[in-house]
Amino acid sequence: MSDTKKQGVIVSSLVGLRDWVDDRLPIMAAWERHMSKYYAPKNFNFWYFFGVLSLVVLVIQLVSGIFLTMHYTNSAEAAFASVEYIMRDVEFGWIIRYIHSTGASAFFIVVYLHMFRGLMYGSYKKPRELIWVFGMAIFLILMMEGFMGYVLPWGQMSYWGANVIVSLVGAIPVIGEDLLVWVRGDYLISGATLNRFFALHVVAMPIILIALVVLHLLALHEVGSNNPDGIEIKKNKDENGIPVDGIPFHPYYTVHDLVGITIFFMVFCGIIFFAPEMGGYFLEPPNFQEADPLVTPPHVPPVWYFTAFYSMLRAVTIPLFGIDAKFWGMVVMFGAIAILFVLPWLDRSPVKSIRYKGWYSRIALLIFTASFLILMYLGTLTVSPGRTILAQICTIIYFLYFFLMPWYTKKEQTFPEPTRVTGRWISNKQLVITLALLAVLVVLPLRAVGAEHSDVPLDHVELDLRDQASLQRGLGTYMNYCFSCHSLKYARFERTANDLGIPTEIMLQNTAFGGQAIGELMDNAMRPEHANAWFGKVPPDLTLVARARSPEWIYTYLRSFYTDEARGWGVNNVVFPNVGMPNVLHKLQGDVVCTNNASTPEECHLAHVDGTGELSPEEFDAVIHDLTNFLYYIAEPVRLKRQSIGVYVLGFLAILLVFVTLLNREYWRRIH
Amino acid sequence: MSEDGTDSGRRRFLLGSTSVVGVAGVVGAVVPFVGSWNPSAKARAAGAAVRVDISRIEEGAILGPIPAWRGRPIFVVRRTQEALDALATIEDDLQDPASTQPEQPEYAANQYRSRRPEILVLIGLCPHLFCSPTPRLAIRPEPFEPNWKGGFFCPCHGSKFDMAGRVYSGSPASRNMQVPPHYYETDNVLVIGEDEVSA
Repeated sequence: MSDTKKQGVIVSSLVGLRDWVDDRLPIMAAWERHMSKYYAPKNFNFWYFFGVLSLVVLVIQLVSGIFLTMHYTNSAEAAFASVEYIMRDVEFGWIIRYIHSTGASAFFIVVYLHMFRGLMYGSYKKPRELIWVFGMAIFLILMMEGFMGYVLPWGQMSYWGANVIVSLVGAIPVIGEDLLVWVRGDYLISGATLNRFFALHVVAMPIILIALVVLHLLALHEVGSNNPDGIEIKKNKDENGIPVDGIPFHPYYTVHDLVGITIFFMVFCGIIFFAPEMGGYFLEPPNFQEADPLVTPPHVPPVWYFTAFYSMLRAVTIPLFGIDAKFWGMVVMFGAIAILFVLPWLDRSPVKSIRYKGWYSRIALLIFTASFLILMYLGTLTVSPGRTILAQICTIIYFLYFFLMPWYTKKEQTFPEPTRVTGRWISNKQLVITLALLAVLVVLPLRAVGAEHSDVPLDHVELDLRDQASLQRGLGTYMNYCFSCHSLKYARFERTANDLGIPTEIMLQNTAFGGQAIGELMDNAMRPEHANAWFGKVPPDLTLVARARSPEWIYTYLRSFYTDEARGWGVNNVVFPNVGMPNVLHKLQGDVVCTNNASTPEECHLAHVDGTGELSPEEFDAVIHDLTNFLYYIAEPVRLKRQSIGVYVLGFLAILLVFVTLLNREYWRRIH
Repeated sequence: MSEDGTDSGRRRFLLGSTSVVGVAGVVGAVVPFVGSWNPSAKARAAGAAVRVDISRIEEGAILGPIPAWRGRPIFVVRRTQEALDALATIEDDLQDPASTQPEQPEYAANQYRSRRPEILVLIGLCPHLFCSPTPRLAIRPEPFEPNWKGGFFCPCHGSKFDMAGRVYSGSPASRNMQVPPHYYETDNVLVIGEDEVSA
């Protein structure tokens, strides 16, 4: 105390405040118990980052989620538009939305890896059974949280994903049908369903999740952390009662985890700023179309973190005991999660870590991992007979891994455990062999059942969002040929004019045909009832078409119309067979015919009829290029800004990484 | 922390510098969240300047409380010569007759508090507790003021304003009513919400 008094009034009064609180609330005891005197094994490796990373992602999701609710509208009529409002109109709304959408996937990545760590090193075994059980409860709640959150943007995948999963309730014998109506609050997935999912997603589930995380950590800190060797450090204590192989969590693992967290942020921000859709796995393209209860997208894969369990659901095709296969599929899917809860009582091995378990366990874990990855991949594809058989085999392997565990863990010859923890890491040779084996086990079966069906090949198109002249020409073409039917109702005149370098007056004269003000949305004057009468359906809004399809698709589609007198408008399309849209650019393009009398539009070889059309084929391609460029811009106006901010963010994180790495090395250089 | 014999100078430097960089990162991360509370493009579009055709306001009449600008009622009054003449006669009864307080743009800091003498543009809110005063434009004795020269009377707490929105002494309000930014696009088109043509 006398030391601190010398350091001045401020420090001593802060210490005084701390002591005042500590007399009334055990903050110092809690700090010591959970941080500065929590002794963790000093041989944690790479796999031990994912626990703290789960906490980091939880905080990310809570903060970004709270801010999203400030702008999101939870009604079926307005939800989709409000997400685009966040993406376009709210200042920095796009960052917050991408943080949350990327965070959802990141959560499952770190949690899956964290669970795999537990499987490898036997972290579920006595005395850590409760930690594992709480962890599995977290996983289950997280899946429900992820599922409900995915419904909120109210896109096509939200809607049909919810439809498929909620319909499972209907598979329950006797009460299923009534229960299904109760869960949806309607006779279909509707605004009522959306509202209850919103409440559960933003209030109920997070509360449960946080409570379970607290229990998970309290249970962990009661018994202490496991380690890659799977031996108990508490069995070997020095004269002060401190584990010889333990090290205070703070500061040693706080500085250590900072390195992992910084690297994680680099990957996380790399995705947010440079690949927020992550190839269609984090944000699925059909979800850029608003939910339509009457039209199912051609392919409804669940978001990637559910695909393994979804594969198991689909793999069950046989009715049993007079009950539908659908019900048994549900039993298998939920069973696959339920069986994880009893894992601590299935493992009869005298050792914990895979390092000292026998060959049966090692091979079982390898095959299990391969089957899980195969199931994950299959879940993203449509079904075929071969794929279904593979999914069935992998589902059986998944369950056998657990059902046979009491036998093979007891039967096998284990290796002697060391008495002290070892700092060893798997040798490069072992690592390469393991990864190669895993790759072979995953890839070969998938090859055997066939690759994905290939669609009509699309033409490559080179786009440049910096080319304002091209974007302006594209906007001009859009306004002349597309806008009278297809609105751009999520974009605003003002932002578009500014981004494309068009003066306000010129923008209003040439685009705001309905007399709108510059700040308004680019809606068009066509009334839905007229559209229905003229076209049989309302022409879709095209603000997001470049994200729902792809620029290549638009470029190819608009150049793939051909004369087909059998169709209502006298034209058909190779990329979009039997499309209900006339070729509005015919005057420019001229006649295109199918030269090979193909039986389906996809197989047509097209040829331009010389001398028809106002433009040469090359000039026409240039017009379509500019139009595609414009649609690519309008689908995500912030793209260029996003990438340029990303460069600075990654640069900053690289600097931070240098500092945290040096700090970590400074603390650990005398620890062996 | 330095009791294990490590180089404490280097350790302190690394702790300090890492903290500084880390805090900079936190500040950077906070920027988008703080920014998201600013008015969105939608709010800005809704709060954009409004155009009013003033040719339809008769002499001595008010167009109001519509239009609204940024959700606030706007009074547009075409004052009679009589009302304008009366403004000078009541200055002794006012708290800020010369408009010294910044309740109006510079171009309206004159004896009429307007760009054009006859057209008065006001935000129709009492500066006291933001009720909307009732227009009492006629020059005639009123229950609250026998010598009334026309103006606005707040029904909530009885603040009185003259035909230039200037507050009378003895009112609960202590400031004049606000004049919003405005200009004339043409003779008859008044733009409320902007000072001058920007584009």
